[in-house]
Amino acid sequence: MLKLLLPGLLCTVVEKVLNPLIGMDPDAQSRLSRLQGKQFAVRLRGIPLRLVFTAQQNGIWLNSHDEPVDCSISADLLALQQLADPSQLTRLIREDKLQIDGDLQTLQQFSQFFQQLNPDWQERLSVHLGDAAAHKVAGGIQLLQRRVRQYLQQTEQSCRELAQDELQLTPVSAEVQQFSKDVSAVAARTELLQRQLAGLLPQSQAFA
Amino acid sequence: MSEQQHSGNQDSTHFGFKTVARDDKVSLVANVFHSVAAKYDVMNDLMSLGIHRLWKRFTIDCSGVRPGQKVLDLAGGTGDLTALFSRRVGPTGQVILADINESMLNVGKDKLRDLGLVNNISYVQANAEALPFADNSFDIITIAFGLRNVTDKDAALRSMFRVLKPGGRLLVLEFSKPTETWLSKVYDLYSFKLLPAMGQLVANDRESYQYLAESIRMHPDQDTLKQMMQQAGFAETSYHNLTGGIVALHRGYKF
Repeated sequence: MLKLLLPGLLCTVVEKVLNPLIGMDPDAQSRLSRLQGKQFAVRLRGIPLRLVFTAQQNGIWLNSHDEPVDCSISADLLALQQLADPSQLTRLIREDKLQIDGDLQTLQQFSQFFQQLNPDWQERLSVHLGDAAAHKVAGGIQLLQRRVRQYLQQTEQSCRELAQDELQLTPVSAEVQQFSKDVSAVAARTELLQRQLAGLLPQSQAFA
Repeated sequence: MSEQQHSGNQDSTHFGFKTVARDDKVSLVANVFHSVAAKYDVMNDLMSLGIHRLWKRFTIDCSGVRPGQKVLDLAGGTGDLTALFSRRVGPTGQVILADINESMLNVGKDKLRDLGLVNNISYVQANAEALPFADNSFDIITIAFGLRNVTDKDAALRSMFRVLKPGGRLLVLEFSKPTETWLSKVYDLYSFKLLPAMGQLVANDRESYQYLAESIRMHPDQDTLKQMMQQAGFAETSYHNLTGGIVALHRGYKF
């Protein structure tokens, strides 16, 4: 009964979160003005929902519809996360994990805008707590972020070493590179052999 | 079925469950909205438990609005749809909030200014049956919870068709007929018992909310309204039932 209304609810929630964040970034306004009037759509594969982002001077507004837009992408959630790295774009398209229709520059501009979004939490917090307390809280959060990032990096490194060196469950990167080289060499030799065989075939038919 | 056929003879029309002279309906409806204007938004949230906001968002989704477009929000009242459109059409677009009722228009004007929406919105006091705009003026026309209060709905639909650009679309968001019997019974109980009591309690105005419930029952059902839109000239007409048909969104194009 409420199925048709759920996309509207989602759009409202995203708008209510996103636009205050944009408002907290002092540089966002100028970057947003470059996007003004552009529309970008995302369709998540497996979910019957297409979200349309419309950039205007006063924020980014969301809708859910199937009308034409400047740029539209269709991808699964994993591919969408990998889009943050522009070097992955070609690979994702080639592997059919990402489909793009329309102006690629619009996609890049929207992606850049979201990546560069840097809300000034400290400024907003200072309104409620005062400058000194807000500075301490923000400093504490930054320290916590650094420690968590450090801990995650160390854990990843330890797990990799354990799997590769101690338990020998996975190959080290040098072994993978060597294996790839060997596979490429075998592929090249096979291709050469195929060409030679293809050349010999008409000759054998002529003798017969 | 035309509106005249729907409402009986040509000199009279309905005002809720009452039959009144056609010329009297405008002033009777005006009195209702003069009376409810100040508490209109509070009552909307209360009566629909906030769901009217989602109905309006769905209307915006179905409009396919683009930056730079010109939109007419007819019977726009306190400007909920105008606000949503204004942010989306941006500085290159324009939204006209039109309402026949001055009190509603003033409440809408104040609210939108408080929201900081001033640059691309114009206000016009206009009768939907005779819109004061040139032919082919708008990309999108919406009328939300307004058509049932119009005396001559056929004339209003023809007027909207005239001012819509070729390729433009009309969206009519209006109370309609619930699709399930059980829902219909619950809805009747709510409309005729609870709604007037809420109106009395919050807005000190039982009659206006009694009229609201009655006018909903007298409004054409989904298929009749679709037919009326086709008769006015709209093509590819369709409708979506929202919240079990309590509300329906009709859409039609001008080609």
